[in-house]
Amino acid sequence: MAGRGGSTVKRRTKGRSPVPKAETGRTVSEEITVLMNTLRELAAIRSTAEDAAGRILQSAEGLLAFADKEEAKKAEEAIMSIMTACGFHDLVGQRVTKITTALDRVIATHMKGGRGRRVEAAASKRRSKIALEGPGHPGASQASIDALFSEN
Amino acid sequence: MSVNHNMQVLVVDDYKTMIRIIRNLLKQLGFANVDEAGDGTAALDMMRTKQYGLVISDWNMEPMTGYELLREVRADDQLSRTPFIMVTAESKTENVIAAKKAGVNNYIVKPFNAATLKAKIDAVFGE
Repeated sequence: MAGRGGSTVKRRTKGRSPVPKAETGRTVSEEITVLMNTLRELAAIRSTAEDAAGRILQSAEGLLAFADKEEAKKAEEAIMSIMTACGFHDLVGQRVTKITTALDRVIATHMKGGRGRRVEAAASKRRSKIALEGPGHPGASQASIDALFSEN
Repeated sequence: MSVNHNMQVLVVDDYKTMIRIIRNLLKQLGFANVDEAGDGTAALDMMRTKQYGLVISDWNMEPMTGYELLREVRADDQLSRTPFIMVTAESKTENVIAAKKAGVNNYIVKPFNAATLKAKIDAVFGE
């Protein structure tokens, strides 16, 4: 059996260029599979964040109804703070979308034919007509925006 | 112009979580009449069938962005005077300036808190 396997390998490689491999030692096809798996992980992150934010919000909304009368103001402020913190889901989602779009482009570059065009088309659909930056590193501060708005 | 807490407020965002957060904050600030839309197209349809005293909109949505919604609103004789606040993570200064030029009344950067939302609403209505 070993002989058959060996001769098969010889027949496959005879007259053909070896399959190109990246510096990682993987073929382009294997690299694409890794990137596809990464996209699935990013989708899962987004879904997990959405689920977590939803459950935290639901709890905070429940707490609002039970806020103690005497400490109501303090409780209300704390609950509002929890609620606004849930905005992390939106920001995480926007950053994940940026990464997903970048990965889509890389995959489309490596893929030939219809599959590559489909990935690129999906990426284009996600791109806005105006070039948006999304959350920055760090993002623009409210103070700097306020300063822009105070200028005439 | 003072803040009318009975006015209809339209919140536009493609993230249900953000709509829920803003709706809760508005409720705490005394605004009970809040409608929601998932993008600019849906918002524009709603604005053409119901009068809103304030629009609070995200920027990055599909198919119609908050910026495109703003431009449509400002170009429409019936809607052009509607106060419009952009609540977005968009950090590119040129885009903030573009929104200002397009006629946005105020701009809130995500993440934000209840005090910022209240301050911007008050500022829009001159309080």
